[in-house]
Amino acid sequence: MSIVNRKFQRCALILAMAVAMPLSAVADEKFELLQQQVEALQKQLQEVQEVMQQYQEQMTVKEGQVEEVVTQLKEDVARADEWKHSDTLIHLAGYADVGYSFASGEDGSFAVGRFSPIFHYQYRDLVMLEAELEFEVNEAGETELGMEYLTIDYFLNDYIALSGGKFLSPIGQFRQNLHPSWINKLASAPPGFGHDGAAPTSEIGLQARGGFQIGGIYANYAAYAGNGPELIAAFEDGVYELEGIKAEGFGNDADGKKVFGGRFGILPLPGLEIGLSMATGKATVTSIEAEAGHGVAEAQDPDAPDFDLHDEEARDYDVLGADFVWGLGNFQLRGEYVKSKVGAAQTGVTASEGATWSSWYTQLAYLIPQTKFEPVIRYADFKSGNAAQSQTQWGLGVNYLISSNVIAKVTYEFNDGQVGTKADIDRWLFQLAYGF
Amino acid sequence: MKSIILFRAKMLFTISFLLLSLSLPNWAFASHFPEPGDPVAGAKVWAENCSRCHNARDPADLRDDQWISTAFHMRMRAGLTGQQTRDVLTFMQDSNVPIVVEPLVFEGGPASKAAESVVALSGDGVYAQTCIACHGANGKGTVPGAPNFTSASGPLSQSDETLFKHVKLGFKSPGSPMAMPPKGGNMSLTDADIKAVIEHLRETFGQ
Repeated sequence: MSIVNRKFQRCALILAMAVAMPLSAVADEKFELLQQQVEALQKQLQEVQEVMQQYQEQMTVKEGQVEEVVTQLKEDVARADEWKHSDTLIHLAGYADVGYSFASGEDGSFAVGRFSPIFHYQYRDLVMLEAELEFEVNEAGETELGMEYLTIDYFLNDYIALSGGKFLSPIGQFRQNLHPSWINKLASAPPGFGHDGAAPTSEIGLQARGGFQIGGIYANYAAYAGNGPELIAAFEDGVYELEGIKAEGFGNDADGKKVFGGRFGILPLPGLEIGLSMATGKATVTSIEAEAGHGVAEAQDPDAPDFDLHDEEARDYDVLGADFVWGLGNFQLRGEYVKSKVGAAQTGVTASEGATWSSWYTQLAYLIPQTKFEPVIRYADFKSGNAAQSQTQWGLGVNYLISSNVIAKVTYEFNDGQVGTKADIDRWLFQLAYGF
Repeated sequence: MKSIILFRAKMLFTISFLLLSLSLPNWAFASHFPEPGDPVAGAKVWAENCSRCHNARDPADLRDDQWISTAFHMRMRAGLTGQQTRDVLTFMQDSNVPIVVEPLVFEGGPASKAAESVVALSGDGVYAQTCIACHGANGKGTVPGAPNFTSASGPLSQSDETLFKHVKLGFKSPGSPMAMPPKGGNMSLTDADIKAVIEHLRETFGQ
């Protein structure tokens, strides 16, 4: 039994070895393969670590370098922003208009109304130079140039600004604020509020302007002293009479007597302004017009006894004005009255009686909601010292607001004046106005 | 009589200049000029003054620096005080930010719980502070082009999402000559403030 068992054990051992030998060989192959993979991974890891180290070195910026970059950035930003913070500002504004007019019984004409650039040069919030030029092309095709105003304004404090130079007359509202074509809601000025009308247009002198608040109500004011206007006389029917007032700002005070005036406005409600104006001083005849009509020229009438002006008496000159504007939603109602009175003269070549020019208008405009159309109606009554210029007028118009500052206007004027004069002719006016 | 009037006018002028000489000139130089004003007060100045003479200009018409000279020009023309000038200038400069065209994410409905914590003013307060100058206490508008909130076909006929976008980004009503600036010109308004004021509009002026 024992011999059999031993033989069996030997056989089993030999059999087990025979089976184990090939398995061992397979295990060795797998081990080698794994070892190769580990080595490859180790190599890759090493490469990745090297790359990471390179990146880290590149990404690492010293603290000083950060500050340097930030400082540079701040300088760049400040430099890019410096145009916003210069002590002197230069700005160009203004307006222009083109149009077409067609008077009853006449051929229609295209016209360049005017080009009026306004230059602003401002030193901080202390001083501003304002100048408006006026370019016009006349009927002969010539370009006329005028200085509408030129002032240097000094802002003394929040309530007072001093302004010297040639400025728009602060009498009333139309001349100083409403005459630009992109603002005026009809294509023409109300009779009496244009040049050589009842309202003074400009003045050369010194002016104080500003605004203040009393108990929640705002008020504004303007007070000025200037050279004053000059007068035009006419020789008709053997006598001299006053023909017109030139109140467009003269650089010479013909009579040496200044005119003082101003306006006070109050805003009792939002959208409502009421103003009173006045001026007083002296004015003297400086030119003679031979015939009644528009325009001023030195007299050529051979029958006139004496055109050599001398010893002209400085006449009393007084202006009174009142104005209001009320805006309520899409409605705007405004009105204005002005009267210029010139006294009599006892001495001088053109000694004659005094004369009065007065005009008033009222205007209603309504911007139709959800549209860009704005119908306008205006009534004006101008009584001139020269009867040929007196006129009553109904003005009807429709505006199309391309934008708030680009406006297309169609206006029709029903004019009633002295028969045979321009003041009596109805007309169509088409205008495109651009405020910039 | 005439000489008396002239004498009085001269006296008035002399006294005016004496008062001028006594007034304190503004000599102090700030690092930047002019000092910032209050944009909310500026919106009121804009709504109540500009359209007295001309169509109110869209704030986006001009750059910040152009508005400076324009504001000082208008100070002279309209008789504004210095403070009114600074206020309206700040309003215009805050309001001329270009309108963003990207779509906004609107979380919908009333101010969310999370947003309620940052509502500084009620809808009523926001309206009284920022909107009332142009839209009026009755919601019918005080300046040309401002829409009528009480109209059945007015702005409130649109969704909250649309109104939110219009208030936040600015909007020009059809036919209006000018646009409402982003956030009505009050850049401090939060999204929650805007949602609150839209709620107020619906409660107060909604049909």
